[in-house]
Amino acid sequence: MLAVLSLLGSACSDDDASGDRGQQAQGGDGGGSLLEEVRDRGTLNCGVNDAVPGFGVVDDEGNYSGFDIEFCRVVAAAVLGDADAVEFTPLDAETRFTALQSGEIDVLIRNTTFTAQRDGAEGARFLQTTFYDGQGMMVRADSGFRSIDDMDDTNICVLAGTTTELNLATRFGDAGLAYEPLTFDDADAIQEAFINGQCDGWTSDLSQLAGVRSAFPESEGGPEALTIFDEAFSKEPLGPVVRDGDDDWADAVNWAVISTMLAEEFDITQDNLDQMLESDNADIRRLLGQPVEAEEGAEPEPFDPGVGLEPTFVVDVIEQVGNYGEIYDRTVGADSDLQLERGLNAQWQDGGLLYAPPYR
Amino acid sequence: MATTPVVSRPPLWRDVRVRRVAIQVAVLAGVVALFAYLYDNLRANERALGIDGSYDFLDQQAGFRIAYTDFSPGDTVLNAILTGLRNTLAVSLVGIVLTLVVGTVVGIARLSSNWVVRKAAGVYVETLRNLPPLLVIVFVNSAGLSALPTIEDATDIGGFLVLSVRQIGIAIPRGDGHGGLYLALLVAAVVAALALGRWRRAVEERTGRPARAWTLGVTLVAVVAMAGYVALDAPMVLSRPEVVGRRVEGGTIMSLPFAAVLVGLVLYTSSHVAEIVRGAILAVPKGQTEAATALGLSPGQRLRHVVLPQAFRIAVPPIINQFLNLTKNTSLGVAVAYPEAMYVTNTVIGNGNPAIQSILVVMGLYLVVSLAISLVSNLANWRLRLVER
Amino acid sequence: MTAVDPGDALAGLAEPVAPAPEPEPPARDLTPRQWVRTNLAASPADLALTVVFGLIAAYAAYRLLRWVFVTTDWEIVRVNLRQFMIGPFPSDQLWRPWASGYVLAAALGLAGGVLVGRPAPGGEGAGGDAEADGRAGAGAGLRGLAERFWPLGLGAVVVLSFTRTPLPTLLTVGLVAVFLAFRLLGARALGALRRFVWLIVAVGVLAALQVIVAGPGGVGWDDWGGLHLAVAATVAGIVLAFPLGVVLALGRRSSLPAVRLVSTCYIEAFRAVPLVALLFMGRYMVGFLFPTTVDPPSQLVRAVIAITLFEAAYVAEIVRGGLQAVPAGQIEAAHAVGLSQTQALRLVVLPQALRAVIPAMVGQFISLFKDTSLLSIVNFVELLTVAERATEQSAFRGQGLQAVVLAFAGFLYWVGCSTMARESRRLERRLGVGER
Repeated sequence: MLAVLSLLGSACSDDDASGDRGQQAQGGDGGGSLLEEVRDRGTLNCGVNDAVPGFGVVDDEGNYSGFDIEFCRVVAAAVLGDADAVEFTPLDAETRFTALQSGEIDVLIRNTTFTAQRDGAEGARFLQTTFYDGQGMMVRADSGFRSIDDMDDTNICVLAGTTTELNLATRFGDAGLAYEPLTFDDADAIQEAFINGQCDGWTSDLSQLAGVRSAFPESEGGPEALTIFDEAFSKEPLGPVVRDGDDDWADAVNWAVISTMLAEEFDITQDNLDQMLESDNADIRRLLGQPVEAEEGAEPEPFDPGVGLEPTFVVDVIEQVGNYGEIYDRTVGADSDLQLERGLNAQWQDGGLLYAPPYR
Repeated sequence: MATTPVVSRPPLWRDVRVRRVAIQVAVLAGVVALFAYLYDNLRANERALGIDGSYDFLDQQAGFRIAYTDFSPGDTVLNAILTGLRNTLAVSLVGIVLTLVVGTVVGIARLSSNWVVRKAAGVYVETLRNLPPLLVIVFVNSAGLSALPTIEDATDIGGFLVLSVRQIGIAIPRGDGHGGLYLALLVAAVVAALALGRWRRAVEERTGRPARAWTLGVTLVAVVAMAGYVALDAPMVLSRPEVVGRRVEGGTIMSLPFAAVLVGLVLYTSSHVAEIVRGAILAVPKGQTEAATALGLSPGQRLRHVVLPQAFRIAVPPIINQFLNLTKNTSLGVAVAYPEAMYVTNTVIGNGNPAIQSILVVMGLYLVVSLAISLVSNLANWRLRLVER
Repeated sequence: MTAVDPGDALAGLAEPVAPAPEPEPPARDLTPRQWVRTNLAASPADLALTVVFGLIAAYAAYRLLRWVFVTTDWEIVRVNLRQFMIGPFPSDQLWRPWASGYVLAAALGLAGGVLVGRPAPGGEGAGGDAEADGRAGAGAGLRGLAERFWPLGLGAVVVLSFTRTPLPTLLTVGLVAVFLAFRLLGARALGALRRFVWLIVAVGVLAALQVIVAGPGGVGWDDWGGLHLAVAATVAGIVLAFPLGVVLALGRRSSLPAVRLVSTCYIEAFRAVPLVALLFMGRYMVGFLFPTTVDPPSQLVRAVIAITLFEAAYVAEIVRGGLQAVPAGQIEAAHAVGLSQTQALRLVVLPQALRAVIPAMVGQFISLFKDTSLLSIVNFVELLTVAERATEQSAFRGQGLQAVVLAFAGFLYWVGCSTMARESRRLERRLGVGER
């Protein structure tokens, strides 16, 4: 009935366009940038995952932790100077873009794949990719499947409302394979369905499959009972997302994220931050907001690129959260349960894709 | 709207007729104004945030598949939602029938003279009634059905039932050769039996000779069924489910999410129906039972001829209400990956289609379905009342 | 609709006994042997039924007990207990829910004491439970109480058994003590207080809310979760839906066609859509219905709006039932003694109608409490969300613990619902008795 009424309503409202436009101006630019709003509010509203191991989980104290969570803290440290000034909003795959659009959250950092349609249609703007992933397929080692092309007439478990589901349709459709997609809301439900034999394959981002495999219960045969195919049949660049049309805010968030990668490139860590502040290297001094000579003979002063952040924001970020490598190792890498290799997410010098734009 | 002629004595503002019109106009104007205001806000917000308010996305390609349907990624979004609605209706219809059966049996069992049966039924009702249906469904799924064997070592019970964690197959009769003709014959037999019963009852009213409508009717149908079966050279065969490769074929097949939603909702709703049935039976005055006993009716006859027909009338409206609840509760299939309307809508939204319009569309569909059920219920109610007098 | 005729097939197990709500054998008049004969083995078929059902029940009970006490490791619940109870509520603010609990206990105790605490012959047991109905003798008081509140007691024992310090237990005992003390006080203070009882409850609730939300350094609504959220959303939903529902019910019975149309459309429309859809609507759309100049309301407020709109339709139908139950003669009589339309409604019709619908309203309250589980689908930290999250924690991940956490969440719901259902049935009987 609401639909009908809103259709009916559209007739009257079209005459009223001038009034709408007035309001639009108010809502659009009148309030200023989200950057100001967040600073005034004193907290950052960050939309996250609450049940993806390594990326966003909640412990028994109600504390969030994980890779994506750390980047919320990075943004809070950079913008507000306090990494703990974050309000986390748990979101489903289905609700995340609406939450962003409606202003419920300031930034969405929730394993969100950068795609053209999302960037274009959903009023969302994707920023620096924090995690390069790809979609893979995991099967039981004793299933006899050697590659996806063996998997005709199978059931595939997949997370609902994600690009994964669409990629699956494309991959199997192209290969002419018959399959039934069983879509679930969370990874644990999939694991259960997978263990009890509801599906033959489990498709997801490779990072998540690796995490699942490493923690596969011994009672079910442990990690050796599972095989992840080498094939990655999609690109999944995951990164923070902000609302379209607010460049100041987008710049601030973007450079907060990039700064962690630059810090790793320069080997600035939580431990050596104090020495690094004394460093003579001009790049490092610029990044850390220490006074540098802008040109020959001029009075040295902190470099401010005008991204809307304090010149010393990187110090807050590194001190309170750490550089990209530290975040990675702590949450998904060597020091975590997941034990993910750096792989694509290594620095460019190490053959990875992290190639942060220079800070100058 | 100055229609009322001022012939009456009291001043305009005290005139009852004027006031009635004025109040109604005010209410309608208020409602319209409220909707216009809300709609205006909606549009303003949408524009401010750069959200597209159109319904064009319904004609675009969905891009995903829906399990156990012939929906392909190339079909439109609207088709996806309608496919979801079909799943909703499927689980609702089967659920309604099963709920009615289970609920009636449990409700009567709660009044059994056998202590164990009574208590068992009581525990069933008191447990399930006090749990959220969402939890019942999730629990049935993760603690019950997922314990079924894998498809490779599926349990086959006499060729009638195949149980696996992927699909559940049940044997059903299926037409073969003259199947259509046979079915028509059966329908004719049932109609004839009903007519016969009516006539016999009329005879009973007139002459007092026992009608035996049931006995005669069932015999008629049975005879026709058997004769027809022989005459038409086995027109019906039992389609048995069997495991072929990694799926079940033959018979009628339920996917596991379907079974989880179905079982969960039947368990939950039947506990409510059981209470309604029990209450309705208790609401039949005790004197009726006593009078029936005095007439020398057996306990079974008392129940069948005196108590249940009266209880039925009391129970119908609330039971139909439960059917409505069951239909709406299928939207909880969201939790166990059953692709019903709400679930498909969620997927549609997750894939980047506008949320508000999608939800409005699915709500409109639910509205249509629910109103249809309401209509049927009102008709049934009306008919029953007619019979009552 | 399908007409089912269970017929003779069921006659054996289907013998309506008596119009008592829970037919209980007149145990005192029968020797054990006679009792067994009438209740377990009236006929060979009956005996067979007893044996079959007995075996099934015994096996089910064995499996259940084994699962609860032997197979299952309840550590996941122990660790996450606070999440189940209050969700993300900050741990250093725990005194707030407790304080509000105490205020509420005092208010409800006082109200309860004033309302029902009149010295009835035979004491509390007279109200009795289903089992004791009609023949509650002296000394049945304690048994009656146990029968009324055993689900609640069991719930408290189970929950407290998971706590790691004795403090919550002490506080719970204190809570019950405060409730009982104020109840006693209320019962003593009687008379003058009686008409202010609603005021007492209202002040209590408001004070409790104030302590939790807005007290110095208070905790915003967004941090509510777990059982606490479920209860809060239920109470808010019913309290807000009630006035709207009454208005709609009156509207549907109005003699003005336009008013009737609007009310009927509202009621039918909101009863026809699932609450999940409305909650999604609340999440996606309600924020957009406010002017662009205003900050959109918080998520919890939006959910409460959706719940309120939904519940109001149901409340309206319940109240309409109550209105229909008021005999027309009452209204005619009211008019005859010179009351105006509004006066008749306010003084004669509504009091009777609302009194008649109390049990149905409690039923609606129960169903709303169950429906709060849907909040988990729209991203609230509801009991089921907590359950789902707990199974993703690194200590418990991938161990198939869903059944464990779901069982615990279900148990909490069951405790709440069955306690309310019992009270509702008791109330129904009391009101019914008073009316006839």
